[in-house]
Formats: sequence, structure tokens, C-alpha cells
Amino acid sequence: MKISFFSKMAWRNIKANRKLYYPYSLSSILSVAVFQMMASLMTNDFVRQRSAALPSLFEVGTLVIGVFSVIFIFYVNSFLMKRRKKEIGLYSVLGLEKRHVARILVIENVMVSGLSILTGLLVGVLFGRLSFLFLNYLLDLPNAMGYSTSWEMTGMTALLFISIFTLTLLYNIAQVTFSNPIRLLKGGKEGEKEPKSSPILFVIGLLSLGAGYYISLTIDNPISAVNQFFIAVLLVIIGTYLLYTAGSIIILKALKRNKAFYYKPGPFISISGMLYRMKQHAVGLANISILSVMVIIAVSTTVTLYAGTEETLNNRFPEENNLSVMTDEEMSSRELKETIESVQSDLNEISSEEGYTMTDQYYFRYMTLWGEMEGSTLAFQDFQGGSEIPLMVLVMPMDDYNRLAEEPVTLSGNDLLFYTPDPDLNRDSLTLFDKTFDLKQINDMPGVMNGMSQLIDPILLVTPDDSTLDTLRNQRNSELAEYPVTLSADFFWSLENSQNSTEYATRIQESLRDTDYPVGLFYESRDGNREDWYSTNGGFLFLGIFLGGLFTIGAVLITYYKQISEGYEDKERIQIMQKVGLDKETTRQATHSQILWMFTLPILTAALHTAFAYPIVQKMLMLFGITSNTLFTLTTLGVVMGYSLIYWIIYRVTSKLYLSIVE
Amino acid sequence: MTFMDVKHIKKIYTSKLGSKGTEALKDVNFAVEKGEFISVMGESGSGKTTLLNILSTLDSATEGEVYLGDQPLSSIKDKEVSRFRREQLGFVFQDFNLLDNFTLKDNILLPLVLSRKSVDEMEKTLQPLVERLGIAHLLHNYPYEVSGGQKQRAAVARALITQPKIILADEPTGALDSKSSQNLMEILQDVHQNGQTILMVTHSARAASYSSRVLFIRDGQVYHELYRGQKDPDVFIDSISKSLLVSSKGRV
Ligand SMILES: Nc1ncnc2c1ncn2[C@@H]1O[C@H](COP(=O)(O)OP(=O)(O)O)[C@@H](O)[C@H]1O
Ligand SMILES: [Mg+2]
Repeated sequence: MKISFFSKMAWRNIKANRKLYYPYSLSSILSVAVFQMMASLMTNDFVRQRSAALPSLFEVGTLVIGVFSVIFIFYVNSFLMKRRKKEIGLYSVLGLEKRHVARILVIENVMVSGLSILTGLLVGVLFGRLSFLFLNYLLDLPNAMGYSTSWEMTGMTALLFISIFTLTLLYNIAQVTFSNPIRLLKGGKEGEKEPKSSPILFVIGLLSLGAGYYISLTIDNPISAVNQFFIAVLLVIIGTYLLYTAGSIIILKALKRNKAFYYKPGPFISISGMLYRMKQHAVGLANISILSVMVIIAVSTTVTLYAGTEETLNNRFPEENNLSVMTDEEMSSRELKETIESVQSDLNEISSEEGYTMTDQYYFRYMTLWGEMEGSTLAFQDFQGGSEIPLMVLVMPMDDYNRLAEEPVTLSGNDLLFYTPDPDLNRDSLTLFDKTFDLKQINDMPGVMNGMSQLIDPILLVTPDDSTLDTLRNQRNSELAEYPVTLSADFFWSLENSQNSTEYATRIQESLRDTDYPVGLFYESRDGNREDWYSTNGGFLFLGIFLGGLFTIGAVLITYYKQISEGYEDKERIQIMQKVGLDKETTRQATHSQILWMFTLPILTAALHTAFAYPIVQKMLMLFGITSNTLFTLTTLGVVMGYSLIYWIIYRVTSKLYLSIVE
Repeated sequence: MTFMDVKHIKKIYTSKLGSKGTEALKDVNFAVEKGEFISVMGESGSGKTTLLNILSTLDSATEGEVYLGDQPLSSIKDKEVSRFRREQLGFVFQDFNLLDNFTLKDNILLPLVLSRKSVDEMEKTLQPLVERLGIAHLLHNYPYEVSGGQKQRAAVARALITQPKIILADEPTGALDSKSSQNLMEILQDVHQNGQTILMVTHSARAASYSSRVLFIRDGQVYHELYRGQKDPDVFIDSISKSLLVSSKGRV
């Protein structure tokens, strides 16, 4: 027999089964497209350059989508094969050898998957570009986001899906080869056994989910949070899968055992139906849940970032103008003070020459140390950025503290004012370089210092006078001479009637360049940074919405395919029941409650996951200077509701699809 | 007493393309007395299934009417049809039509569940029935775990469990070997002797010989009928076979 015979046969089969192949190809095409777009983002300039955490975040995202693609394509394939078993069994009965059947399957697969991959890549490239155009237009950011089609990632996508389709093909051939024609003929009809419930997996799922939640709830350090975040994500994903697969079966079986409940038309129809197909469909539901969480988190965090840009700016720049002062290791705090004051008067002069009046002027001097608390001794060390992050200790003199704080303090010679965010570190006394100080606790740092505490909550030490500060620095530098620390200062001011302008900033910038103060000066205006921050945060928003869109497509796809395949599976069952006297209304009721469960379950799961992810995500937002909770809370609530609405629409449409197949 | 009256039934299947259509039934007339066991025989394609579908409200006639007692079937409102099927009719299908995801027990209970009967009542009706049919030990098995004959007996149990007024069976022995067929016919005979009305479509003269009357259908019409009367089973088979032979000769 010639190859052309098989090709013709394969082509005829595809045409004859087009009702099955349409949703199959559509699903394959969209999976390819979604993965291509997701993978392409890994090479996006913004993603690669804006933040160190972003590339690894996208790698994890791409990996998750990749795993979903494998699961989804197998799911789609198993449905297709189940429907076609009869036809394939017939070939064997009619005398076609198994290897010939296999050859037909290969040709079919090459045709359909080849076409799906090509179309999917095309859709990915086009849709990626179009949606970037559209989003750029919609968001109107200061800097438009650039989209470049990554041919490397496109090639990788092709490779991945070729492998997936090859695996499904091998699986199909194995199925045809290892089962006899009679069983194939019975095909979809032959019952899969009722799934066994496995309490062990259920317990593992609970533990895994609990551990994930626990990490999120107890995490306290945003820097280590990035790593723990991934662990928590992994645990929650595993927990979700196990609970869906094992838990659903346990619950459905328990319901079935309750005879008074089970033997009523609605539950009778839906429980048996759900139980029967739970094994595959639990995975689908878990996928939908996880994609939904990803949508919600991606969108709500980036919206928060963008909407919170002003807050970030206010935290970072307590006043419109910010001058950072850097010294060498020799300069004493008194010299620093004098220098700052002369800079200050120079600035005032320049400003008034230009017709501006400086207001709200204040500065503080400080020194940043890294150390470790050993009993009541604080031992200093060098900051190496290893995995174990040392304590950050800010030390400043009392005069400067009193300028910032709402309630001034008085400290005598042996006192230190002490603030720590960690109750475990609270002490009555503290030994620094063999000298023991009495500690006076305060509950909060001055608000102006918010900008310094984005990454790590630092300890604050306030010395009674300037000389104590100098002494501490000298002691520290003689102990660790190779990494000397220096004093720094921040000087802030605003202008009367908010006169700030780019011209003013430029003028200050210029005037500072030509001076020869004994310190390094770095000037920034809030205004000057605004655009920068808006474009960065706008970029995040852009990505968040784009990803949200991609994940939503994924969730829709799974939902759509689930409804279609369930429709075909239920069709015959419902018809038989109608012959035995099931009326249309009960059919509707039963299928509605069944569909409703299948829909609310993932969205509830997503909401729960989001609630538990809240603390960890909020801490990660602190990396970007978002410190108030209200904004994030409101955004998350809004996004959850918005997504539920979208999901509700999907539900209406696909359940109509389902009912139209069944009836 | 006339239980069911079939008057001038005509059925034309029209295809979507609007061509002439197939006349499956031309003019069918007969009456079913209460407690009768009727077999309908005829060649393949003679319209037996069509007739049965019309009697069971699964399909409607193009012309003519079926009366159940005094009530025309066409007067039953759409909403009532399901209830009617559930409570008055019992079906036995040729290919069993059992649901794969239900145990035999749940398959049999299905009509009762749909009628919202209490669990107690269900269990009470179920037990004697399945014992009589010899499938009591298989209640917790799934259809794919039992033989064809056992499946068919479960299908019979499902048809009987509501104690319907009439049992309709479309070639119930069609998928069974001769031993299972005989077994099933004995069960139906038993059911008949308990006073149930049965109408069965069959190909097999042997199966038909269990009934009290045989209708022969050809070209969409009932052209002949045979009463069993006091005949011996073997004698009855003989006359059925002869009638069949005549019918096919008449064609030539
Ligand atoms: N749904 C249908 N549409 C069109 N023609 C049909 C349909 N069902 C049956 N027929 C035709 O009606 C005639 C009678 O069919 P049927 O009642 O199934 O015969 P039997 O059951 O006696 O073998 C046949 O010629 C058949 O082709
Ligand atoms: Mg027939």
C-alpha cells in the first residue's frame, strides 16, 4: 500500500471527524500562541533590564504555562481518542494491520499538529504585536513598550509543541497497539472504573497547601520573600492539584453514600456524572484555579504599583527636593553639619536669586551599619549580600532625630534611643564595642525615613550627641578597616506655593556641579523622578495586563474545552435518561447545578489562594515602595470582582454551548 | 377492555433536503387489550421501530392517533410527556441503553429517582424484582462488568420497577444468544402472567411464540395477525414461521 493511500485516508478521517477536530485544533492553536507570547516576554527588554526579580518571575511563569500546555494537550487528545476508538477498532476488524493504523495516525497527527503549530505561532506573533499596539494606545505611557518577536523563543515553542504532540501520538499508537479491536470497538462506551479515593494524597495535598499558606503568612523579610514566594507557589500548586483530584472524589463518594441525598433527580444525575469524569476534570479545574490566581495577582499588583506611584515618590522623596550628601571616612559629624549648613545657605541664595523661596528645610545625618545581635551585644560586620542577611542598623544623632520626629526626646550620656520592627530584638541594654548603653524604646521610625526602609526593616539607634556617633564610627572602622563606613546625610526642602519646575531642578543641578564642597552631593527632584517612575510602573502595569490577558485566555480555553467534551460525554447519557422519563426542566436543573459547581469551585479557590498570598505579595510590593495596605486591598478586591465578572460571562457562554450539545 | 387503540397511523420521514421523504408507516390499525402480550413482526425496514417510537411518545405520527384508554396520546402536553413515560410506560431497548456510570442498581432505580420516590420505597420495590430476575448479586456491578443477558435483565428490571401499564420492547433479544433469549422470554412471559400488558417487536419466531398474539407488518401496514389461543408453543412457532414465509413470498 502506498503512502498516498494513507494520506488520503488520514485526510478523510480528519474531515469526517471535523466536529471533534475543530475544538481540538482551536485549543492546540491557542495553547501554542499563548506559550509563544509568554516565552517571548522573557526576551523583552523591559523584563530583562528593569528589575532583577523580573526575569526569574517570567521564567517561572513560562514554566507553569509550559506544564499546563502538556497537561492540556494530553487532556484534549484523550477526549479525541476516546471518541475515535470505535472507528479505529473498526479498521482492525476490517483487516487493516496495526502498523497501518499507526501509520494513518502518524499522518493525521502530522497534518493536524503541524498545522496547529504553524497557525499558533502565526497567531502568537500577530496577536502579541497587536495587543502591544493596543495596550500602548490604551495606557498611553510616557515610554511605549517595545515588542520584539523573539525567533529564538518561537523556535523553542515549536520544539516544545512538536515534542508534546509526538508524545500524544506515541501514547495513541501504544493504545491502539496494546488493546484488542473488540475493546476499541466498544471505545468510549467501555467504562473507566469508578475512581478510587485516596486519603493519603488528600492529606499530602492538605499539608502542602497548608505549608504554602504558612510561608505566605509568616514571611517577614521581603528580600528573602522572593525565594520563599516561589516555594510557596510550588507548594500551593501541588496542594491544589492533590486536593482537587483526591478531595473531589472523597467528597463525591461521601455524598453518594448519603442515600437520602443521592437518590434525588438532581444529585443522582450530577454526582454520578461528576464522579465518573473527576479524574481528568479535577486537573482541568485545578488548572483553571491556578490560572485565575495568576491573573488576579498579576493584574492587582501591577495596578497597585501604577496607582501607587505617587506614594512611592512621596516615600522616596519626603519633600520636592532631595539632596544626598556623602562624605569620606575622616569627616566628623560636626564638620558634616557645618558643610550641610553652608550648602543650605548657598542653595537658599541661589533659589531666591531665581525668585524661589525654599521652605520645609531639614536634614539628618546618619550612618549605615550591618551587624548581628548576639545576646545584648551588637557585633558589626561587612555586608556581603549572602543568603543570611545581616541586620541593618541606622545610627543618627539626637539633634537630627528631634528635627524629624513628632515627639522630641532627651538622651543623657549613656542612653541610646532604640527602634526595632522585630519584637525579638527588644533589649533593655545594648553593648557596642565594649560599652553598654541603656536603651529607650520608641514604637516607630520618623515618617521621613520610610524611603530608607523599603528593602529591610532597619534598626534605628539614636546617639545622645554627635561625638558618640563619631566614636562609634571610628571604633567600627578600626575593627573592620578594609570596609570603612562613612557618614551620610539627606537634606530636604520644598518651595513656597509648590513652585517646583524642571528649570529649577536644572538650575540647582548646575549650581551644585560647579562647587567644591568637601562632600559628594547628589540632587534629585521628585518631579524629575516622576516620569521615570511612571514609565517603570507603567511598564509593570502593561505586563500585568498582558499576562492577565494571556492567563485568562488559558482559563477560557480549558473551560471551553471542558464544556464541549463534557457535552459530548453527557449527551448520550441525558438522551437515555430522557427516554426513561427525565424531563427537560430537571435536565436543566441538574446540568445547571453541575456546571455551577464546576465554575464556582475554581473561582472560590482562586479567591482563597489570593487571600493567603496577600501578605507575601504585599511584602514584595514593599520592594517597590508601596507601604500602605489600603490601595492594594482595594485593588485586589476590585480585580477579584472584575475577574469574577469576566468568568461569569465565560460561564454563561460556555454553558449555553454545553446545553446546546446535550439537548 | 381496550387498553390502547392505534388508528390510521401514518408516518412519513421527510429529509431536510425537502425531497419526497420515506413513508415508514402507511395505515396502521390495531387495538391492544389489557393484559395482552403482543409481538410485532416484520422484515427489517418495515416500520416496527417507528411504530414503537410513536406508541411510546418518542416520536409523533404524521397522521392518525393512538388512544390510551380514551385519551389521545397527542393531547398529552409536552410537560406531561416525561411523566407519562416515567409512570405509564416501561421500555426495554434492543441495545439495553444502560448508563455506564451507574451501577446496575442505580440504573434500575433511575425511573423511581426521577419520580422522586423515597429511598425506602425504592429499596422495597427493588429487592423482589431483582431476585425474580436473578440479578440480585450483581446490583453493585457496572454494566461493563456483566454479560449481555444480565444487562438485558437489568434493562427489564428498569422497565418493570415503576409497575407501568404497558411494557414496550424493541427486539429485546436481538443482542442475546439463544440461551439468554429464552431466559429473557420466560421472564417476560412471567411478567405477562402477572397481568402486565406487553408489546414487543421481534425478528425471532421463537421469541414471538411466547406472546398471545402476533401482528405482521409489511409495507407500513398490519397485514396479518395470529392468536396463540391454546396452541402448543411448537405448533405456534410453526404457524408464525409459515406466515413469515408467506409474507416474504408475497413480496417476490
Ligand atoms: N429518522 C429517520 N429518518 C428517515 N427515515 C427513517 C428514520 N428512521 C427510520 N427511517 C426509515 O423508515 C423505515 C422504517 O424504519 P424502522 O421503523 O426503523 O424499521 P424496522 O424497525 O422495522 O427495521 C426504513 O425505511 C427506514 O429507512
Ligand atoms: Mg428496528
